[in-house]
Amino acid sequence: MDVLASLGQGFAVALEPINLLYCFIGVFIGTLVGVLPGIGPISAMSLLLPVTLSGSPESGIIMMAGIYYGSMYGGSTTAVLVNIPGEAASVVTCLDGHEMAKQGKAGPALGIAALGSFVAGTFAIVALMLVAPLLARVAVAFGPPEYFSLMVLGLTILSFLTQGSMAKALLMAAVGVVIGLIGLDQINAMPRLTFDRLELVDGVGLVPVVMGLFGVAEILSNIESQVRRDVVQARIGSLWPSRAELKTSAGPVTRGTLLGFLLGVLPGGGSVIASFASYAIEKKLSRTPERFGKGAIEGVAGPEAANNAAAGGAFIPLMTLGIPPNVVMALLLGAFVIHGLQPGPLMMSQNPRIFWGIVASMYVGNVMLLVLNMPLIGMWVQVLKAPYRILFPLILMFCIVGVFASGNAVFDVFVMVASGVIGYLMRKFGYEAAPLVLAFVLGPMLENNLRKGLILSEGNFDIFVTRPISLACLVVAALLLVAPLLPALRKKREKVALDVTE
Amino acid sequence: MLRRAEFWGGLFWLAFGAFVAWQGWLLELGTLREPGSGFVFFWLGLLIVAFALSIALKGVKGEGPLLSDLWRDARWTKVLMVIAALVAYAFLFEQLGFVICSLALLLFLMTVVDPVPLRLSLPISAVASFGVWYVLEKVLLVQLPKGLWVEGLVPF
Repeated sequence: MDVLASLGQGFAVALEPINLLYCFIGVFIGTLVGVLPGIGPISAMSLLLPVTLSGSPESGIIMMAGIYYGSMYGGSTTAVLVNIPGEAASVVTCLDGHEMAKQGKAGPALGIAALGSFVAGTFAIVALMLVAPLLARVAVAFGPPEYFSLMVLGLTILSFLTQGSMAKALLMAAVGVVIGLIGLDQINAMPRLTFDRLELVDGVGLVPVVMGLFGVAEILSNIESQVRRDVVQARIGSLWPSRAELKTSAGPVTRGTLLGFLLGVLPGGGSVIASFASYAIEKKLSRTPERFGKGAIEGVAGPEAANNAAAGGAFIPLMTLGIPPNVVMALLLGAFVIHGLQPGPLMMSQNPRIFWGIVASMYVGNVMLLVLNMPLIGMWVQVLKAPYRILFPLILMFCIVGVFASGNAVFDVFVMVASGVIGYLMRKFGYEAAPLVLAFVLGPMLENNLRKGLILSEGNFDIFVTRPISLACLVVAALLLVAPLLPALRKKREKVALDVTE
Repeated sequence: MLRRAEFWGGLFWLAFGAFVAWQGWLLELGTLREPGSGFVFFWLGLLIVAFALSIALKGVKGEGPLLSDLWRDARWTKVLMVIAALVAYAFLFEQLGFVICSLALLLFLMTVVDPVPLRLSLPISAVASFGVWYVLEKVLLVQLPKGLWVEGLVPF
């Protein structure tokens, strides 16, 4: 009953006209950036982070959350119609979604993507609502060792699940922690790696680093290879899938939802991994796996449900533990901090209006998205026809504006350009940016909790292995680190990566 | 070996890791009972060195792509032009102000880097730079560098 009463309070917040407006702006921009290749939710959220300052905390965060789950919806449109993923989580939707479109079934492909996303999104919100209070109660007992070990686990999972070399992913995570620690030491206020630059005393800003590594680097990569867009010209037709298609999709949507939610909750997991994993599972379970890649509706329904469920699930560790499980949640954490709020176990009791307002706004946002995506697909197709050579200069300008506005410092623009060049080279040399950014955000918390743990235990590392939750996290992290060394598992990990990149 | 991307990538991070470990050492390691400011830096630096070594060794063994393959068929001159434009923008941002810098950047990107017809690039650049300036300065009240741009010249 408590939950229902709190949710009622949340709806009262979410349905305030100003919050409805922010929610609409969020899901609209989210869908737009999801549709547009070359700009994803991370860039859009970084860009709008300063804008959240102008409203109340709940309004700003409702908008930021809307951008995230909105982009998950929007990404499928580009994937189906243009064969270019609007954002990374839609990569697998291209495989069968675009094939369906070429066979004249763009309507059902887009329809099932929207329906699957809606079902998964709604499930994730209900689960968030039920699981979060329970987890928050457990999390109150967390001390520095538990937080440290959980963050180590998160970074290890992310490194394990990234495609390609795990050594490179772990190296990126270590580099991310180093960059995150630049600035004043939180314990004794000593400046570290600041090179006597005043601008670095407060540390390197999250927004310029993220905008550089994702926004600018993406543009540089797109420019060097001519972006070819093959927009499906045929009539999209009815969006409502046939009864047989709905029946075929029911299983993949259910499995994708559950899998996506679980992967979303795990620190280090996320929408991208969820959609890849769902596709692999559906292909494996199918009696006719040869249809995959040639227009199988299960290949659209499962991954689309999975990436939306993961997007919802990712809110749980942030809201209950204060630990962002992925880069997008790290930005959302930034939005909380800007407003002087600290997500964590006490969030629900200290700021119920904000917590439940955000949860309720997700219900509202999901309905808005269904309304936006189904009838407005024609409009998104027109947006897609805008040439990239016009879009990329505008995106670059918005990146500069967003970075400058976030800190009011030209130094941040330099940081963004430098991060962009480094991000571009990292892509070239096969280093992923996601572990770096997550580690960058977790770095100060990681160091703080490690040092506090050691001080508490008077220099004894036992404290990290004698407490059950901490031990469990470290054991799982160790297993994941050892796993790639086993030949059978290594082959499997490489095969998943290959399946996905085919 | 010298032509392998893994070797050069590994070498770069090796130098980075060694630098971080050295900085950590200088910052004071402290003790396990009371770790100092450089404690985490030092150990992270060594960790980076270890990972970088394993990557560089792959290059030594001849694994991974060739350096030249990374830029094969790539329009790398366009990438360089964009980077140069962004660096110039950052240097001139405060001197010239937001509107002039943005207008120049957009025109450069749309006429030199990846050209679109002038009838499109001119109005889009002008509307975007003035429009963004107006929304940020007047609606969202975000202060942008004015530079040579004199606010009084604008009638609204």
